[in-house]
Amino acid sequence: MDSYVNIDNNTMYQQLSNLSDKELISRARKLKDREAEGILLERYSHLLVAVCLPSIKNNPGAAMNTVFPSILQRLSNGLKTQTIQKANEWVHQTVNAYITNPDKQVPYYPSRESRDRLHTENRVEKAATNTIEKQALIAQVERALASLKAEDRYLIEQFYLENKTFADLAAHKGYTTEKVRTLLKKAKSKLAMQLTN
Amino acid sequence: MSNNTVHNENEKLLKIFAGIRCLNRDQLPRYLQGRLTDIEKHLVEQHLVDCDLCFEALQALQQEGQLEQYQGLSANIQQYIRESIKPVSQLQKMERYVRKTKQRESMLIYFWLVAFIVGGGAILYLMQQYNYHKPVVARPVIPVLPAASVAAAPLPPPADSTSTAKPAPLAAAATPPVIPVVKKDTVKAAPPPAKKLTPADSAKKAPPPKTVKDTVKRAPDSNAMAKPAPARNDTPAATVAHNNTPKKEEKKEESSKPAASSSTAMDTDEFLYKAAMVYQQQGDLNEAINRYKRLSSSGNPRIGEMARYQMGVCYRNKGQNGKARRIFKEVVRMDGNMKQAAQQALDNL
Repeated sequence: MDSYVNIDNNTMYQQLSNLSDKELISRARKLKDREAEGILLERYSHLLVAVCLPSIKNNPGAAMNTVFPSILQRLSNGLKTQTIQKANEWVHQTVNAYITNPDKQVPYYPSRESRDRLHTENRVEKAATNTIEKQALIAQVERALASLKAEDRYLIEQFYLENKTFADLAAHKGYTTEKVRTLLKKAKSKLAMQLTN
Repeated sequence: MSNNTVHNENEKLLKIFAGIRCLNRDQLPRYLQGRLTDIEKHLVEQHLVDCDLCFEALQALQQEGQLEQYQGLSANIQQYIRESIKPVSQLQKMERYVRKTKQRESMLIYFWLVAFIVGGGAILYLMQQYNYHKPVVARPVIPVLPAASVAAAPLPPPADSTSTAKPAPLAAAATPPVIPVVKKDTVKAAPPPAKKLTPADSAKKAPPPKTVKDTVKRAPDSNAMAKPAPARNDTPAATVAHNNTPKKEEKKEESSKPAASSSTAMDTDEFLYKAAMVYQQQGDLNEAINRYKRLSSSGNPRIGEMARYQMGVCYRNKGQNGKARRIFKEVVRMDGNMKQAAQQALDNL
């Protein structure tokens, strides 16, 4: 009986692990599935640790006892009460809010750029199986790309179409990789905004 | 061919907005160490453009000595999550199962409990209804029949009817053996006023006089009826009426003379007398005797005499013949309307 339960649990675990963030969130919210919640938190736990490292480097033992449990608790509470579109942004905001002020609870709210990006991503995902819609969307992206500044357009074309790395672009432009990433992010946001409006 | 490449180029544009998952536990250090394939690295970087969490994590890990700490802590937090959430979920499942079974059981228990309570309540209610209706069915026989109809209705001849046959032609006062019949009649005649007027209610004197008058007025009729059926005439009302008829005019004169207060006092006595008769009819002889005693000492001689006579009847019915005889003698000595009846009762004792 025990072995049966274990096998059942393992298959359940694997099935849940294959689910997307969105599905896990809805399971945790609607079905009050603690397992789904655990898998979601586990999926982001290493990033959470890495982000917290600079602030806890002096006392990692205490962090394991206090910081992580309270952040996880906050995330668990947020999962039940907040509308989460993008799990990574939600984790990032919650962790940053905790590091800045551990006593203050700041609700998660997605930025406008993030919403525009999410909207465009959803449109692309929907168009994947519909050729006509896909062509229309491609034409729209081309137009939006053409309206961008030359530098932004260059970076996007090089990065996405030519598969250049951050390091390549940084070397070519003489920027740091962080700056290349930031510029790309801004250019992408502009593109998403144009596509949304 | 060129068309195809253009098409592919265009399709690559959509790659800009492809949703890519965050870096997993292994990818993070491997990216830092440059141990990713070109495709994998490109995908990670595509994701890094959007994801602040992964980018900040990588930046934090780039600092010296953080990678070792990261390995240990990430393993710990994973363990912590598994320990804190999974057992809870297992417990929750068990609890949910136990709660469901308990709920099912408790629902059954509640159902039977409610069923028993409702059943018990229904049985009690039915019993009460049955008990309540039972006497109600028996009761109406007495009050429903009005005095006049009772007086007119042929009564089954009493056991002593042979003895009553003798005084029948006389159609005079009631003979003692007929008294049981008298009793029945009086009960039937008495209840309506008696029900309305218990001694406590004697203050309400307005409605009673009418009924008294009715009985008085009815007296001649019943008297007339008495001739063909003398036995029926023996109701107290009838006897009273019969005795009263010769003196009716005198009485009217009397009643017109005294003040209103004296007439109301008389009425009260009469109704107390009737109430006592009701007790007598219902078989509560002791209570009836008490009331008659009180009445016999009252100011109204006629009522006093009648009360005494009925008291004698009560004692006789109780089997106390000595007391009955003494009281009948008293009535005879009083030399009033009831003298004859009392004398006859004495003879029969």
